[in-house]
Amino acid sequence: MAVKHIKGNEIEDAASSKDKISLIDFSASWCGPCKMLDPVLNKVSDELDNKVGFYHIDVDESPSASSQFGIRGVPTMIVFHDGQEIDRMVGFRDRNALQKQLEDLADSKLV
Amino acid sequence: MDLKTGLVGSSSSENRELDLVIAGGGPAALSAALYAARYDIEHIVLESYQPGGQAALTALIENYPGIKTISGGDLVAAMKKQAESWGGVFESASVISAVPINDRIEIKADSSIYSVKHLIIATGAAPAKLGVPGEDKFYGRGVSYCATCDAPFFRNSHVLVVGGGDSAVKEALHLSEFVSELTLVHRRDKFRAEPYLAEKLLSRGNCNVLWNTTLKEIKGDDGVESVILNTTDGERELKLDGVFMYVGRKPATEPFVDLVELNDNGTIRTRDIVHTSNRNVFAAGDVTDNGLRQIVTAVSDGARAASAVFEMLQ
Repeated sequence: MAVKHIKGNEIEDAASSKDKISLIDFSASWCGPCKMLDPVLNKVSDELDNKVGFYHIDVDESPSASSQFGIRGVPTMIVFHDGQEIDRMVGFRDRNALQKQLEDLADSKLV
Repeated sequence: MDLKTGLVGSSSSENRELDLVIAGGGPAALSAALYAARYDIEHIVLESYQPGGQAALTALIENYPGIKTISGGDLVAAMKKQAESWGGVFESASVISAVPINDRIEIKADSSIYSVKHLIIATGAAPAKLGVPGEDKFYGRGVSYCATCDAPFFRNSHVLVVGGGDSAVKEALHLSEFVSELTLVHRRDKFRAEPYLAEKLLSRGNCNVLWNTTLKEIKGDDGVESVILNTTDGERELKLDGVFMYVGRKPATEPFVDLVELNDNGTIRTRDIVHTSNRNVFAAGDVTDNGLRQIVTAVSDGARAASAVFEMLQ
């Protein structure tokens, strides 16, 4: 499953899932580590399709959403379940570290 | 089996035998990968930590020969593309440990174990933390180690930069194009940065330098709101919106402590630039103490290390 590009007004829907946890990646076209993270997110989304929804937001395209969630650095990945923020990661994560962290979060939230 | 990489299938959790593992993802590792691929050495690059290394976080590079100006991200992306075009093989994985076993080296990565004849350690160095209260709490909420990534979030704001070396001054110059006010604090009474960079910063109208000053604490609620500074006149609170730290680097040597000797400052001890205390292991770039820590010296180290491996394999 690919990472779905959304805009600020779609965050609430994306974050409200109960069947899966949702990862929303706030990033920017001018950010080097964000570009490095993109292929990692694509690979991890293939592995965790049944547990995690993956979304991407461009902070320049959705500035008010970035402000609403207190984003002051990119990439910032916020993980939601049932509308609640359950984790926040700032900066690059390699594939294995990100996958393990998301698996642990999913296992703790999904029955 | 893929003859070039020694990979069997695509599944993880397997043992692999190779001639060479290159650990790292910055210019030293990318250069080693390019040369290893051109020498047709059976290899894999384990891109751990920050792909592209510290270079990827640098806004503007003006001292790489042949290229007048380029962003760090673009330069390392071009290096990786060039290495791949010659057959460089990359995998996103962190090295957990590396130990000598008979004449080989066993490298444990996230989900694979590699048995290799040679290892090039090019894991670089990560930005050091200052260790002051509030630094961890506000990371990503006003505290940053990457002006290139985060400067646009501080438009028309007041930010603090901590440090006095090349990195601090370069990144302060980048930040000064976004912020309304920039205060740089340095614990000494003069910069360690190149004079050209220092003069450029001091001439910027929105930049102010506080000498002989250190950061004591970062305060705020949901984000950074103020800092406490130790000055020669005592403590002072300064209201501002962000803090950018450039207080040195911590070499990424932890997985290799049972394999090679380290210097007192934590870097890998080398002789003849890239040779370590283990004859089968080479080190390149900022993970060593080779003096000038620049992209141009890192790529040189990487090329030397791959060349040394090639000669040993003959």
